Amino acid sequence: MSKMNRLVTSLFLLPFTVTAQAPASRTEVIEKERDAKSAKLEPDEVNEIERRLRNFKDAKYLERTAVGYNGLRIKFGNMVTGGGFAAGPEYYRQDLMGGQLVARASAQLSTKLYQKYEAQAVLPRLANGKVSLEGIASHRNYASLQYYGTGPDRPKELRTNYRLEDTSIDGILAAEPIRRIKLGASLGYLWTNVGPGDDSRFASAETVFTPAQAPAINHQPNYFRHGVFAQYDYRDNPAGMAKSGGNYIMQYSWFHDQKLNVFSFRRMDIELQQFIPLLNKTRVIALRAKTTLTETDRNEQIPFYLQPIMGGSEDLRGYRPFRFSDRNSMALTAEYRWEIFSGLDGAVFADAGKVFPRRGMLNFRDLESSVGFGFRMNARNTTFMRLDVGFSHEGFQVWMKFNDVFLSRRFGTTTGQPVY
Amino acid sequence: MKHHLMILFLACPTFAQPKFYPDDPLEREPTPRNVEKVLNRKLSDYYDLFANQFGKVGQHQPEKGPPIVARASVNTLGEPMDGAWYVKRHYYRRMSAEELKRGPGDANPPAGAKWTVVSAKTEGITPGFTILDEKKQRYFIKFDPLTNPEMATAADSIGARFFYALGYHVPENYIVHFLPEQLELGPDVEITDSGGKKRKMTINDIGEILTRVPKSSDGRYRATASRAVAGKPVGPPRFYGTRKDDPNDTVPHEHRRDLRGLHVFSAWLGHDDSRAINNFDSLVTENGRQFIRHYLLDFGSTLGSASDKANSPRSGAYFFSWKSSAQQLFTLGLVPPYWALAKYEKHPSIGLMEGDVFDPEKWVPEYPNPAFQNRLPDDEFWAAKQVMAMTDDDIAAVVSTGKLTDPKAAAYLVQCLIKRRDKIGKAYFAKVLPFDRFRLENGALVWDDLSRSVKDARVRWFEFNNDTGARTPAAGPSAWAAAEITAASRPGQTIQIYIRSGTIVGLDRTW
Repeated sequence: MSKMNRLVTSLFLLPFTVTAQAPASRTEVIEKERDAKSAKLEPDEVNEIERRLRNFKDAKYLERTAVGYNGLRIKFGNMVTGGGFAAGPEYYRQDLMGGQLVARASAQLSTKLYQKYEAQAVLPRLANGKVSLEGIASHRNYASLQYYGTGPDRPKELRTNYRLEDTSIDGILAAEPIRRIKLGASLGYLWTNVGPGDDSRFASAETVFTPAQAPAINHQPNYFRHGVFAQYDYRDNPAGMAKSGGNYIMQYSWFHDQKLNVFSFRRMDIELQQFIPLLNKTRVIALRAKTTLTETDRNEQIPFYLQPIMGGSEDLRGYRPFRFSDRNSMALTAEYRWEIFSGLDGAVFADAGKVFPRRGMLNFRDLESSVGFGFRMNARNTTFMRLDVGFSHEGFQVWMKFNDVFLSRRFGTTTGQPVY
Repeated sequence: MKHHLMILFLACPTFAQPKFYPDDPLEREPTPRNVEKVLNRKLSDYYDLFANQFGKVGQHQPEKGPPIVARASVNTLGEPMDGAWYVKRHYYRRMSAEELKRGPGDANPPAGAKWTVVSAKTEGITPGFTILDEKKQRYFIKFDPLTNPEMATAADSIGARFFYALGYHVPENYIVHFLPEQLELGPDVEITDSGGKKRKMTINDIGEILTRVPKSSDGRYRATASRAVAGKPVGPPRFYGTRKDDPNDTVPHEHRRDLRGLHVFSAWLGHDDSRAINNFDSLVTENGRQFIRHYLLDFGSTLGSASDKANSPRSGAYFFSWKSSAQQLFTLGLVPPYWALAKYEKHPSIGLMEGDVFDPEKWVPEYPNPAFQNRLPDDEFWAAKQVMAMTDDDIAAVVSTGKLTDPKAAAYLVQCLIKRRDKIGKAYFAKVLPFDRFRLENGALVWDDLSRSVKDARVRWFEFNNDTGARTPAAGPSAWAAAEITAASRPGQTIQIYIRSGTIVGLDRTW
């Protein structure tokens, strides 16, 4: 049989073969599909990328990094603005005494060689959780903080820098007699020292300013300090990204110069935050007004590095950090935030504020202002990173921070220190 | 030679399969093949999120040309067959209020005065643990968040019963109340702490978990006890592709009607967490055969609940979409999405749920789901007719299983579900001719108009050739007949009914 004949014969036979094998029922159709599948069964393993992602999560690397090994972990950030990226070891335990004692100790070094050491012990649940007692000690060595001179009209070209070293130890007792209302008192001691700044691009402060212009630049006092505070907080998410409610804080502190007896002062901080939710909290208008007012006895002064400051990542965001300082300050912030997608909010903001020498100048005249926009990255109702761009007549500033702009500060006398 | 080939092809009608086989329409899937070896594999929820959000997984509908209909997963009437994925229930055979409340079962709540904790879950959205009751039955114990007592447990109970009535395999979920003294720790139980470190569990760990959940005034704790489903767990099925180790799993999941239609059910019940890891495959043995049965699990994130908190108002929108994000970014949020305009009654035990702004056509789960995206109007109709079969009383009966102590909250939830149901009917009964339950009565073709709104339907009869598919006009039904139903008020929407010897064997819809 020729090849051609064999082909033709085969082709003729093909349909009859197919007919013989064609399914006679729907059940048979399905069974044939199952036959075909059965012939190529293989383990239904996930692909390599999925396997790695799955194993990464199962190994809980993120949780282990956050919690650490036997309480030891790495602490990132939380350095003063302008200090660069900071990291260092932290020992953190919240399971001591059956969860009744929280202890923390950390040492951090930043890319600009700023140093910060802290130790803290908290009894957070005394009296059925209504009372907390905290002890905190810290030592900081910031190599080149900015200083433009005291007063509202200092030109930006007057930028100098100085080193701040201080050590403090404080105790804070707080009670929550009524839900949302916190009352407390603090007591502590502060040792301060300043020296020439490390940033060679700018003059060191002591070479530009006299002790009359920059009080305590030549001799630094030590302080016994104490204070009281009160807070009414009805924010919907006090620990994270608030979208409704308010937070009102007032504290009054006394700083007693124990060394030179010429730098004692009193300080009052008032901060009012209000969050106005719109459209099911997908948009929020966040408002803040805060002021710091100080007073001294006659012939006493406030060290320049303990004066209230303005400018930076939290207020007057279009200005350099520490741009303004004087005996008093006030700041106003309005921020409109809206949800771009789940996990990212946009923000436009306007800041206004001023520093002023006398408390009688607490008014809305002669305010510096800045406007800007930003983004807030959120996870589980907490802002873990924000990017703000602020504009002012002095130019613009870009801020990348790992906190909320309305940061909840520590209570007590520790807030008497100018930088965090 | 040319003539030979010509004759060859002309002589080949036997290549074409008949449109209908003698056993059509199948009510049940054929007896499953025995599954010999199957892998218990775990999926990555990160991968599922990123692959679905930014990749293109599964076979999507073509941008041009005819769409891929869900024919392979249904019988010739367009109905999913009873089997490993789905069982025809309430729409097909009305369930009584008692049956609706019973759901997958109500006879096996945790038994005995002592429950033994055999594992605990400290991480994840909600805390919980696994217990063995005195009959050694395994249950997963899940709680409400402190801020929303009753919310997640009610959602888990109600959601399971609705999805059961809608045809899916679900676990038995019980709402239980217990005293801490009922719990005892099993031997050598390990717990993973918040840092991912495993250690031996102590009774204090149970106490610590219980501090994070609501406690009633009588000292008892309310929880969902979800009974472990029968069989051996083998990992969740995805919403695309097939299991490579299951000979019975031959239809890509993204083309299954029961999964495409699940979009509509999920929209109705606010099941925005309808992702692969909330599915569950179990290797079961019945009649001497081992096969994989596919379950839906974990309904704590249905209705107004997000398990650990009230739902986000953006529930029903993707976490992320390029278009919406760009719109929000560049308009500074001044053009709010429709869901942001919703108004919610305040009921902590419900969370965030509403029915006024809800739009079933716009509702989507948290991130793209290929089966949901592939749905066509006939898939939506199939689901919508089941949702619409839930009467007000049916809904109230199922909601009562949530054991909400505030009657106003329960009534509000019922009203929300009624409103959402009606919107689903309105949306999807408009896309195809909403006729169903076809039957022949005294030689005439009759049906139910589920929308009760189409008044101008007409029928044209054809003789039908089952081998060739050819139709020729006829005066009425014959041994093999096709009836074409059209309505002037619904241009483009048709239904083809196929009748063999007085029995309806097939149904096709166009739109």
